[in-house]
Amino acid sequence: MALEHYWVKSVDSTREAASKMSALSKLADIDRRVFYWILFIALMVPFLSPIGFPITIAPNTQDLYDGMTGDQVDEGEVWIINFGYGVSAWSECHPAVTVCTKALFREGAKIIFIGPHYDVELTYNKLQDTCREDFATKEYGVDYVFLGYFTGGESVVAQLASDIASVFPQDHFGTPISEIPMMDGVEDVHSIDGVLSSDTGDYGGHFMTQWQGPYGTKLAEVGIAMNGSTDLPRWQAGNFFGVSVGSRGGAELELLIGELGEATTAMDSISVSHLLLVIAIIIGNLGTITEKLGGKE
Amino acid sequence: MAYPTATLDVIGLWVGWFLMLMIYSYPLYKENVAYRAAEHMFIGVTLAITIITNFSNVMRMCITPMLQGNILMIVPLVLGLLMFTMLIPEYRWLSRYPVALLVGAGFGLGIRGTIKPNLQDAIIDTITAPTGGAMIDWFNYLYVAVGLVCSIMYFMLTFEHSGALKAPTRIGRLFIMVGLGAYFGNTVLFRFTMLTGRAQYFLQVLKLIPM
Repeated sequence: MALEHYWVKSVDSTREAASKMSALSKLADIDRRVFYWILFIALMVPFLSPIGFPITIAPNTQDLYDGMTGDQVDEGEVWIINFGYGVSAWSECHPAVTVCTKALFREGAKIIFIGPHYDVELTYNKLQDTCREDFATKEYGVDYVFLGYFTGGESVVAQLASDIASVFPQDHFGTPISEIPMMDGVEDVHSIDGVLSSDTGDYGGHFMTQWQGPYGTKLAEVGIAMNGSTDLPRWQAGNFFGVSVGSRGGAELELLIGELGEATTAMDSISVSHLLLVIAIIIGNLGTITEKLGGKE
Repeated sequence: MAYPTATLDVIGLWVGWFLMLMIYSYPLYKENVAYRAAEHMFIGVTLAITIITNFSNVMRMCITPMLQGNILMIVPLVLGLLMFTMLIPEYRWLSRYPVALLVGAGFGLGIRGTIKPNLQDAIIDTITAPTGGAMIDWFNYLYVAVGLVCSIMYFMLTFEHSGALKAPTRIGRLFIMVGLGAYFGNTVLFRFTMLTGRAQYFLQVLKLIPM
């Protein structure tokens, strides 16, 4: 009887321990779809009910803004804005490019828009929409020009430095470059006062090696978050006068120019997504550690 | 940006919304016909746009100037056409000429431009001590210095990583792991931002938030 009682008690305690262990180890095996559903719904909540997490300005973003405003840009300067991103990266790059375009236009700079993505026209149209009021005060061909798509990577960026017309004999709409008033006298790297490259890839790096390095052209970068670890050392080394990293950089720039936009709206949602990711990592690790400890026993 | 009013724009908006849901049906449910249809449409449309854009580009940059009398444009045109010989086994060797030219030009341009910004400036920035007295600047300076030296030592493969090299190479490996982790983390966060953009679009089309 006593032995039977001991056996039953022992089995119960083992089962209890096993159930506790399996509950924890199950954390590592949660169906990924559960996480995706939580994520998809959780990302929408801050849009419907904004939280208002504070946004501080990073020094690299401040440098970017300062380099495009005030004494740093004279009226009539010619800048290039390179759309090195496609539609898929609009949420990352476009808010910052919008602010930079507004800043340059308001300083009286003239802008040449180019892009190595096949959907560059969509991005240009989007910019016209997000900077509608600023474009309304400017004249095409006099204050800005859209030269359109180019391909060829670093070789073409180098060729642009030597002869812009050889890469873009016409603008995007087929007008010969020689007939565009703004392009009169704008021939090569020496006619360009600054470049802003916005990238999912490394066109900023190509402009750095082919323009900033050899000719000292002012160069700034708007990169996706993934490019931050490449772009920030270049900013620290002085190759980029400023850098905006991802949507966060866009939100900081919107704050600096005093016109809150898409990036600021999205920041709460992005913060929630990061928080969820941290929680998922903790849960996954707890499960894995529990499994390992269980295995050792 | 306001909610579109033109019929075609509204249709475009809703088509995008449904296509997005079709794509997300894969991670949120499982692979299904709707997902595959959207995926095939995406690939087809992307390919079509890419071909048209590049064809227009060749016309604009090469064919039109050539027809206007710039006869030299025949050179890049012929080189470009030679690339297509890759598709014909007997003449594949011809494609090596444009490839060689591209690789040669790429290397030449790359090396010409890379030394100052990628090496000289980066090294000078790394070895220059911070001018301010802030503790965090000095910590960063030392962290980068130790990380750089140890990470480079990790790639010294002509010596066995033992004895005097054991500790620094192990530290170097840790730095590399932290660096790659940060890089991967940034990649994941970028994808999350894209997802945030889609979530915003989802609500905008339903007019739950302003466009």
